[in-house]
Amino acid sequence: MLLTKGDVETVLGEALAGGGDLAEVFVERRVTSTIALEGQRIERANSGLDQGAGIRLLADESSIYVFTNDLSLTGLKAAAQAASAALKEKTPGRKVIQLRPELAARPLAVTRGDLAAKVAVVFTAEKEARAGGDAIRQVMVSYGDSEQEVQIANSKGMLAADRRYRTTLVVNVVAGEGNEVQTGYESLGGTAGLELLTSDRVRELGARAARRALLLLKARPAPAGRMPVVLAGEAGGTMIHEACGHGLEADIVGKEMSVYAGKVGQRVASELVTVIDDPTLPGKYGSFSFDDEGTPAQKTVLIENGILKTYMYDLEWARRHGKDSTGNGRRQSFHFPPIPRMTNTYLAAGGTPPEEIIARTPHGLLVKRMGGGQVNPTTGDFVFDVAEGYLIENGKVTVPVRGATLTGNGPRALQAVDLVGTDLGFAIGTCGKDGQGVPVADAQPTIRIPELVVGGLL
Amino acid sequence: MDPCELVETGLKLSHRAGADEAEAFFLEHSSLAIEVRGGKLETLRQSKERGIGLRVLKGGSLGYAFTSDLSSSALTEAAQAAVANAACVTPDEARLFPAPADWDRALAQYDPAIAGTPIEAKIDLALGIEQAAFAHDRRITKSERAAYEEGEYQVAIANSHGLKAGYRGNFCGGYAWVVAEEAGDSETGSGLFYTTKLGELDAGAIGREAAHEAVRLLGAKPIPTQKLALVLPPQAATQFLGILAPALTAEAVQKKRSLFAGRLGEQVGAAAVTIIDDGTLPGGINTSPVDGEGVPTQRTTLVAQGRLENFLHNAYTAAKEGKRSTGNGTRSSFKGAPEVGPTNMFIAPGHAAPQELIAGVDKGLYVLDLMGTHTANPISGDFSLGATGILIEHGRFTQPVRGVVIAGNAITLLKEIQAAASDLRFYLGFGSPTLVLGPLTVSGA
Repeated sequence: MLLTKGDVETVLGEALAGGGDLAEVFVERRVTSTIALEGQRIERANSGLDQGAGIRLLADESSIYVFTNDLSLTGLKAAAQAASAALKEKTPGRKVIQLRPELAARPLAVTRGDLAAKVAVVFTAEKEARAGGDAIRQVMVSYGDSEQEVQIANSKGMLAADRRYRTTLVVNVVAGEGNEVQTGYESLGGTAGLELLTSDRVRELGARAARRALLLLKARPAPAGRMPVVLAGEAGGTMIHEACGHGLEADIVGKEMSVYAGKVGQRVASELVTVIDDPTLPGKYGSFSFDDEGTPAQKTVLIENGILKTYMYDLEWARRHGKDSTGNGRRQSFHFPPIPRMTNTYLAAGGTPPEEIIARTPHGLLVKRMGGGQVNPTTGDFVFDVAEGYLIENGKVTVPVRGATLTGNGPRALQAVDLVGTDLGFAIGTCGKDGQGVPVADAQPTIRIPELVVGGLL
Repeated sequence: MDPCELVETGLKLSHRAGADEAEAFFLEHSSLAIEVRGGKLETLRQSKERGIGLRVLKGGSLGYAFTSDLSSSALTEAAQAAVANAACVTPDEARLFPAPADWDRALAQYDPAIAGTPIEAKIDLALGIEQAAFAHDRRITKSERAAYEEGEYQVAIANSHGLKAGYRGNFCGGYAWVVAEEAGDSETGSGLFYTTKLGELDAGAIGREAAHEAVRLLGAKPIPTQKLALVLPPQAATQFLGILAPALTAEAVQKKRSLFAGRLGEQVGAAAVTIIDDGTLPGGINTSPVDGEGVPTQRTTLVAQGRLENFLHNAYTAAKEGKRSTGNGTRSSFKGAPEVGPTNMFIAPGHAAPQELIAGVDKGLYVLDLMGTHTANPISGDFSLGATGILIEHGRFTQPVRGVVIAGNAITLLKEIQAAASDLRFYLGFGSPTLVLGPLTVSGA
C-alpha cells in the first residue's frame, strides 16, 4: 500500500471541505525500463521512477483534477485544498470519510529479467530481422517494461489496489532498393513479465517485420476506387477499435458526438457482428484487475448480433446516465483524470473459415495488416492505412500492393459486413484520446465488407 | 530545494556512482487547463510536477535514469541506475556533453500576467470562446469543447564541464471545437491560438474561427476523382510541415531515415519554399535561451528558396559530423535524453495576400481539415489523408467537399508549391502562410 488508510481519509476529507459530490485519490508509483537498439548497437538504456497522486473532485457536472508528485501528507493536502479552492460555489461542511478494507488484485507471477536478459532479447530480434538479407538497411528494436503500482480511493468508501506489469517489444525494419524505401513494423506486448518474450516469439517478430518491409519493396501501387475488402484476422482489430469502439465510449455518446447516441436496443450492425470489451482476458495488453477508478474489471458485450447493448462507462458518465460503471474508467497515469476507454476490444469470431471468405470474393483487397487510422466519431467517417495488402483476383490472393488506404463510414461498414471468419487475431497498441495514451489490445476474425473506398497512390 | 543546487547534487551523486562525466537536468512544470461546455465549467485540471534526469558517461557509453522522487536516497538510486544502464550501451565517442557558452537571459519569455490573473477570469475566457462560437451563427448547435490552457516551466541544467543554465517561461492559449447542423448534416470546426502573452489571447476570435469553419462545411459532399490545385491555409500547411520536420533533423539523416540524406546543396523544393527553424523567435511558443542540453538556441535556415542548406543538430549529431550544435537538443520531459527536434519551425511568407492567390486558382480545393496526419510515414514521407474543404472554381469558393483522400509524399510535395502567401501563422511550434500546390490527384467517390 502506497499511503496509509488514515492519510487517504484525511486527503479525501480535505478535498470535500468546500463541497462537491465525490472526491477521489489515485496514487501511482511506476518503475520503467527501456532499451533501444539501432544500427546494430544498443543506443539507449533508460530507467526511471515516477510517482505522484491525482485528486479529483466532482461537483454537479464539473470535474476538477489536481495532481502533484509530492506524496508527503503536506503535499497531498495542498493538492486537495487547490481542488477545493477551484469550486465555484462553495458548500462548506466537512465530511468524514470512512474507507472500506482495501481490495487488492491477485498477485501476478511474472519473470523479472535483469538488464542482460533484456539486452539479449533485443539482439535476438535484431539478428532475425537482419537475416532478411542485403536489402535490410536498418533495424530498430525497442524493449520496454513497467511495473505500475496503483492505489485508488474515493469518498464513497472505495479503496482498491492493483499492480500491473507490462512488457513490450517493437521491431521496425527499413528495407531499400535504389531510391525505394519501405518499412515493416511488428509489436508484441502484454500484462506480463519477460516470460512473454520467448525466443520463438522474439525471432518470429523480427522475421515478420523484415518480411513485411521486403514485401512492400516488391509491391505495386494499390488500385483506387470502391471494391470489396477482406480484413484478415491477423490484421488485428484496429478497425473495430477506431470505427466502432470510440463511438461506444460514454463520454463521446454523452456529448452527442457519437453516431451511436440514443441507439441502445437498436440494430446498428449486421447480425453477424458481436463486439465485446474485456479487460479480464489473461495477459492481454489492455488487461487489469481494477480499472483506474477502482471498479473491478468485467467483460462487457457492446453489440450482440448487431443489436447495441450498452456503452462503456466510467464512474462520472455512469452517474450522469444513471448506470453502473462498466469498469472502463482508465487513465494514462496520475497526470490525468480517468475517462471512458476501451481495454481489450474485439469483434467475436463467426462461422465462415477464412479461406472460404477469400474464395467467395471474386475481386477485391485483402488487408493482412492495418496501419494507423483516424475516425471522426460524430460522423463515423474513418481513414486507415493498410500496412500490408494484397489483391484478390478470381477468389485467390495474388500480388502485394502498397500505399492503400481505406476510407469509409464505421456504422455503414459494420452494417455491411457479410462474412465473419472463425479465426481471431489480436494486435496491441497505445490508444490516444484527449492527450492520454493507454495500452489496449484489439482483435477481429477475418471479415468481408462488400464495398469500401480504397485510395491508392494514383 | 533550489533547482540549481539540485542539479549540482545530481552531478555529485553521478560521479560518486562511478560516472566519468555527467549531466543533470531538472524540470518543474505547472499547468492549468479549463474546459467548458454549454456555458458551464466542465473540467479544470491543475498540476505541478518536477523531476530530475541524469545522463552519465562511463567508458564512452551513455546511460540514463530519472526520478520524480527527489529524496537523496532516490537520487542516489537513479545515479547508480544510470551508470548500470551505461554498462549495457554500445560505446560511442560522439557522446559528449557540450562546453559552457554564453546565453541570452532575455530569451526567457515569462509573462507575469499569466500567473497573476485569477482563475475565475480564466474560466470566463474559456466561456467567452464558446459564447463567441454560438453568437457567430445560429446553425452552431453544439460545443464539443472550449478551453483555456496555460503552462509554466522552470529548467536547470548542469554538466561536468562547468555548464550551468537555468530559466523559466510560460505560455497560454485557447481552443474550441464546435458542431454546426443544418438539414440533417452535421460538421465540426475548430479554432486554436497559443501565445506567450495573455494580452494577445482573443477569446472571440477563437470561437468565431471554429464556428466559421463548421458552418462553411455544411452541405459538404464527395466529389469525383480529379486533378485539383490544393490551397492549404496555415492550419493545414503546418500539418504537412509537421510530417516533414523529422526528415530535416541530422538524426534522421545519420540514421538513414531521411529522404533528404546526402542532398545538402540540392534543390529539393520549388523556389517559393523557404523553411526556417528559430529558437530565438520573439513570441515563439518554443523560444528559450538554451536547448535541452544547455546549448544556446539560434535561427537556422533549412531550405532557402528550395535549396537544402542545413539540418537540425544537437550536440551528438553535430559531434558525429564535426559540426556545431544548432541548439536543437530538444527535451520535453526529465524522463528522457535530449533528441533532435524543431523549435519554432516555419515556412517563410511571400508577398501576396491569400485572397489574391485563391483568385488565381482555376480549379482547386481549399483544405479545411485533414484526417490521419499521424499515420503519415515519417521515414518515407508518404501520406494518405482524408480531407474536407471547399471547392474553388474560377477563383471562387463554390461547393463544400468531404470524404476525399489526398495521397502523396510530403517531400516531393515541396516541389509542387507554387506560391506562399503573406499570412504566416503559427499553430504551436509550426508556422506557415497559405500555400498553393499542384495540381494533384484528389481521390473521391
